[in-house]
Amino acid sequence: MLISIFILLLISVVAIALIVASGTESSLAGNYRSATGVYYAALAGLEEARGRLLPKNANSFKNTAPVSFLPSPMPIGYVSYVLNPGPTEASGNILTTYPDTEYDSEFGPGKLATATLNTTLSMWDSNPLKTSLNLPGPLYKWVRINAVSELSLKLDTYPYEGTKDPTPLYYDGAHLNDTNSGSQVLEITSLAVLPNGSQKIVQYIVTPVPITLPPFPAALTLAGSVVSSVVSYTAPATNNGFWVKGIDQDCSGSATGPKVPSIGVFTSADADPTGPVLSGIPNGSIKNNNYPGVGGSPDVEVIYTSFPPSMRSPSGLDSVIQTIIQNADATVPTTSGSAERTFLSNLLSSGAMSASSPLTVVVNGDLDLTGWSNTGYGLLLVTGTLNYDPDASWVGIVMVVGQGQVIGSKSGSGEFDGAILVARTRDNSGVLLAGSNLGSSSVNFNNGSSMGGTGVRYSNCWIQKSQPTASYKILSFHEISQ
Amino acid sequence: MRRIRGKARQAGFTLIELLAALGIFLLVTGAAFTLLSSSQQHYQTESQVLTSFQEARLALDQIVRDVNDSGYPPPTFTDGVPADSASSPFAWSPGYPNTSCQIATGGGGNCTTATANNTSPGDFDLIIETNPNPLDPTCAPNCKVQWIRYQLLGTTLYRGTAPKASGDDPDADTSTQLVPFVQNVVNNSSSAQITQYQLVYPSMFPGGAPVPIFSYNCDTAAAPSPCLAAGTYNSPANIRDVVVTLIVSAPTPDATSGVPRIVQLSGRGRRVNPNQ
Repeated sequence: MLISIFILLLISVVAIALIVASGTESSLAGNYRSATGVYYAALAGLEEARGRLLPKNANSFKNTAPVSFLPSPMPIGYVSYVLNPGPTEASGNILTTYPDTEYDSEFGPGKLATATLNTTLSMWDSNPLKTSLNLPGPLYKWVRINAVSELSLKLDTYPYEGTKDPTPLYYDGAHLNDTNSGSQVLEITSLAVLPNGSQKIVQYIVTPVPITLPPFPAALTLAGSVVSSVVSYTAPATNNGFWVKGIDQDCSGSATGPKVPSIGVFTSADADPTGPVLSGIPNGSIKNNNYPGVGGSPDVEVIYTSFPPSMRSPSGLDSVIQTIIQNADATVPTTSGSAERTFLSNLLSSGAMSASSPLTVVVNGDLDLTGWSNTGYGLLLVTGTLNYDPDASWVGIVMVVGQGQVIGSKSGSGEFDGAILVARTRDNSGVLLAGSNLGSSSVNFNNGSSMGGTGVRYSNCWIQKSQPTASYKILSFHEISQ
Repeated sequence: MRRIRGKARQAGFTLIELLAALGIFLLVTGAAFTLLSSSQQHYQTESQVLTSFQEARLALDQIVRDVNDSGYPPPTFTDGVPADSASSPFAWSPGYPNTSCQIATGGGGNCTTATANNTSPGDFDLIIETNPNPLDPTCAPNCKVQWIRYQLLGTTLYRGTAPKASGDDPDADTSTQLVPFVQNVVNNSSSAQITQYQLVYPSMFPGGAPVPIFSYNCDTAAAPSPCLAAGTYNSPANIRDVVVTLIVSAPTPDATSGVPRIVQLSGRGRRVNPNQ
């Protein structure tokens, strides 16, 4: 009996030793799995937010979150969260269960409590991923999107005053800056928590990357061949209130900036007093007053050198157009004029397009605005003929590139604020023009009768606001120590 | 008279029985103690292996995390003051930061350091440039960029940090700050030692050569490719991925068999910050 107990004791010791050893090994493997898993779960949160910042994304915040979720520009003290509760968690409790202590460490104690908070759900908590497909999403809990300042980043950015200011930061392509130059930078912070308690916070600084557009060196640019005169322009015959102003005005409509040509062309023949442009403007007070720019009215100038050589040819300019088409926020169906106008109206009524939310709107064909009495915002690209009704206004960039034809004959009081570019890159069949010179662009605002409207006002402010975005570039990545 | 009969035989063991019982007891306990001793030796060996494994795993996690964060913050964030931003995600020597160097393996290339037959970035040496914790309460709001170095000396992987300073040599500044990080790292063992290892672990140490702790992929005009084959893109500033391979051994050979016990761990750090 004693011997049996003794042997049992020894065997138990051996067994316990083996269990301890295997348990340690399991813990090690588990720790590594947790560390890796939580890191990639947090990264998944960053990437979802970065992707949804893009308006062209089907799940973009513009399409799926409240309008207030992502103001532009985003002020300091405005915080937006993407919540990703687990199956047994309530979205309303996420920020309580997993508090964001990082914000206060960046912006100062108590700042999150006084910040303006907005929330939306992760795509993993929306249909069809959650309800229909019941797919388990990544285990991040929240993603925060906010503006940053020198103070929050603890950095002195351009122009390096030696102080750390609380104003929002921008990125001009070369520097972070606090001079409102370029695109605003946003901070994306993601917290992931695994069921075993492993936590990780990672952070991006991102900025939108604008698509490289052709320049807009004049209020109205009639692009054409650099070797021969091919463009045409016909102003409203009897509308004294129609102006093409090359005097830069700000986004409020005040003329404050430098002057640019009223109408820009590619050859001196086009700018000649007897050329096709100036001969299309009624003589008298209209010609003498309504086309001011760098010089006196009528200010028609050769501006082709402003265009990079790659954008002076049909193929070069067309490649830019294709990029815009691929990155459009909205593509207007061209089944009929009324369908086009209804589509544009819906963009406005839904709040998707507004002065604070300019869109890149593409019409792959003709656009007939007859009877549309609204104002659009952003970049309007028309690859066919633009039939303009001056009951409508457009604030931003208008590019009529493809067929390069603009016509108008109606009455109205609308206007363009920003710039217009008209260029012909394709023939009537839609085939890309051969050679290195653009075709004959044409603007006829006297198409049967003298068109109304107040004309074109150059606005660099609106041009900048209307730049389409190709992606959100990662300026930096950082794992937050905890 | 009745003859007094002898007393009834008392219960008990004969000498032979006692000797037999003692023999059996000794046999059983001997076997049990042998089993216990063997188990203790196994346990001791496994504990050492696990300790080494755990140490290496923690180190691997730290290295990967540092590589992920390398290059933070980029120069576009600040005024170009060296201590405020990363001039390059990975530092080198000599010529840093103005004259780049070519990464090579086996001590080749020209990213040479003061250590004989050593390069950084190299097989067994890496200097990461980052600000690991800008909000560190001990230095915020003026936390600066640091050089974080991992260098294998003998069988110990050292780690050291030094503040990045303008005009300084990262190699010189960090070499005085190194502290032991992982012990019994056998990646750079001698040929004789590798031969011994291969008797037990034939798939380790391919070709009988040391296994680099760090190997690199560089950004190129196309997809990232091994820096050794990246041509003009072979530069510390272009390193995108660092593949980390740690081979660690238990401090003592297996107590029962006498063979060395080693484990190999692999990980990959990927720089997310943009090119400088």
